[in-house]
Amino acid sequence: MKELIEAYKTVRPNVTVNPVITSSGDINQKLTVALATGTGPDIMDQDASFYELYYAKGVLEPLNLDVFGAKSYDEIIARYTPGGIAAGTFGGKVYALPYQGNSMSLFINNKAFAAAGLDPVKDAPRTWDDMKALGPKLKIVQGTRTVQKAFDFPYHSPRWEVQMFQPLVEQFGGKLLSDDGKTVYLNSPEAVKALTLWRDVTKATGDPKTTLNTPSNPNQDFIDGRTAMWVTGPWATSQIRQSAIKDGFTVVSFPQVNPAQPHTIVYGWMWGVNKAKPAAQKVVAWDFIRFVLSKPDEWLSKVAFVQPVKGVNETAVAKNFPFFDAHMKDVATASWYIRSEYTNEISQAIGRAVERTVYDGVDPKASLDQAQAEIDKILKY
Amino acid sequence: MYPEARAVKLAWTLPTVRPGRSIARRGRWNLARRQAAFGVAIILPTLAVLAVFRFLPMLQALYLSVTAYDLVHPPRFVGWANFVSLLHDPLFLKSARVSVTYVVCSVVPVLPLSLGLAVLFNQSVFVKNVLRSAIFMPVVMPAVVMAVVWTFMYQQDGVVNTLLGFLGIDPIPWLRSSATALWAVILIGIWRATPYYMVIFLAGLQAIPADYYDAAKIDGAGRWGTFRYITLPLLKPTMLLVIVMNVIVAMKVFAVPMIMTGGGPADSTRVLPLFIYQTAFEFFDMGRAAAMSVFLFVAVMVFSFVQVRLFTRGEESR
Repeated sequence: MKELIEAYKTVRPNVTVNPVITSSGDINQKLTVALATGTGPDIMDQDASFYELYYAKGVLEPLNLDVFGAKSYDEIIARYTPGGIAAGTFGGKVYALPYQGNSMSLFINNKAFAAAGLDPVKDAPRTWDDMKALGPKLKIVQGTRTVQKAFDFPYHSPRWEVQMFQPLVEQFGGKLLSDDGKTVYLNSPEAVKALTLWRDVTKATGDPKTTLNTPSNPNQDFIDGRTAMWVTGPWATSQIRQSAIKDGFTVVSFPQVNPAQPHTIVYGWMWGVNKAKPAAQKVVAWDFIRFVLSKPDEWLSKVAFVQPVKGVNETAVAKNFPFFDAHMKDVATASWYIRSEYTNEISQAIGRAVERTVYDGVDPKASLDQAQAEIDKILKY
Repeated sequence: MYPEARAVKLAWTLPTVRPGRSIARRGRWNLARRQAAFGVAIILPTLAVLAVFRFLPMLQALYLSVTAYDLVHPPRFVGWANFVSLLHDPLFLKSARVSVTYVVCSVVPVLPLSLGLAVLFNQSVFVKNVLRSAIFMPVVMPAVVMAVVWTFMYQQDGVVNTLLGFLGIDPIPWLRSSATALWAVILIGIWRATPYYMVIFLAGLQAIPADYYDAAKIDGAGRWGTFRYITLPLLKPTMLLVIVMNVIVAMKVFAVPMIMTGGGPADSTRVLPLFIYQTAFEFFDMGRAAAMSVFLFVAVMVFSFVQVRLFTRGEESR
């Protein structure tokens, strides 16, 4: 980012750019409070699922078409992969643009597979049943201690729990939110099947009580060799290559209930402009966003972020990026992470339901009924 | 307070009367008035700071508690709606229960532990000062650092489970089970609070005149009798201070559960301050969060009042 800022300064020497660095865990609180108190930044960098909330609160400035040399918002939308900027489009207008739209794919530790006499490509699980079958071969328990998990779902943050739960629900033919984002379906038959699957796969492959993953190090268990398989985004590639695993990993598509009808998830981070700023500053803000987003291959080569723009897979960088096709295959069948004014509340209710079932053995239906009741109360209120 | 101490304090607070001032002026500004003015002048800066940074935010919270406010749009008056809805909110009630469990289970053991340590370190103990300093270390350690360190200690292969392993006990998923997570957090609360209150008890013990113990010894009182009939009654004000302070601190616990568990698993460690924070800064429902703060404030006030009444009841009747 620093390089891009410096490059922008050479193009617009009169513009000053002051980046404010905040951890991803704190950005939501800090940004919202700053926007409310009138001290918000010109440009906001936020998880895509929050833009629904910001739009509802009226703090977003629509994209400046002149700056992007476009005649209509449809022209902007057409520059992206289908649904690529859906999270930043409201009422036909574009309010935010993504600098990363990440698939969630299955990363496999080749060494762990080899030790179990498995081939990471040929024996990779295509379905959740395959995953359960691999459990006994890859899970290593010494006495009462789990030394290596075959696979584990995430438990370090509700948002990650939703990243896994949402595609499971969709794989069973359900959805978590109505199309208008106003109705939540947490205890639908499909959601119950999804949580039941989660619990059963966990029993066969994982041990959620032993995780060292944290919101700042979500891939820790995989990097440490504590789990043989882990679902994460392409951005984890550089982190994994710098670990002891180095290039000893394989990426395959997100496991499915029915591979003939695949459903995966994509989530990302976007940039939007603060409506409360003076008109001239807002023009410059969009100009800066246009400039830094104009080099998707640099984003991919330097930080492994995939911009959902058309043609990104044709670049030389993409062709050399490890398992880029596998990531793109998952993007092609992905829905965006749920977007609602109440994303946080819904995520937390789902997280609690998952933890009740996995940690406390509560029946999936009962756990999701409770989650639905919790969220209904919030929406009603 | 001892008469000597009162005299010293009085002498310090009295402004010096300079010679040459008129009797009339001195009459207008008699001693009591001048003392009062001097006292007010001294506390004014502190009062100003308290007013701006304590009382005004408290009033603001009180106001917000009767509004719907999402930080972006102006607050909208909703009357008692926030309070009524909280009383029917299972998440709030669960969080309140977690807070009460935390307070009771972390405050009760601290009292005998800190008093016991204070009594021990009030004696002639080998390398007393070194031990006192070592035991006091958790108090000076930042809560964030402590939470991170304990998170590692509670892991499957962490220090705690390794020690339990020597005793033949299987690893316990301390922070990954709703049956144990709150107890793990409570243990840290006890570990951190005990040395702090030990120092307060120590100060209380050292303020008890040695004459009383000498007299008891002459009368043939044993160790337990001396402790029961001299030390404990004279420590009553200190004990009141320790309990009230400890309860207030425990009710406001935030950093440790926030960092170690984020309130999970399944809300088992979501104490009220953490829920207030999430409601305000994750769900952006400032009105509801303020209403929860008012509940917390009232709970602390009621408890403190009851404690003071209980401890002073005997003294009033005398």
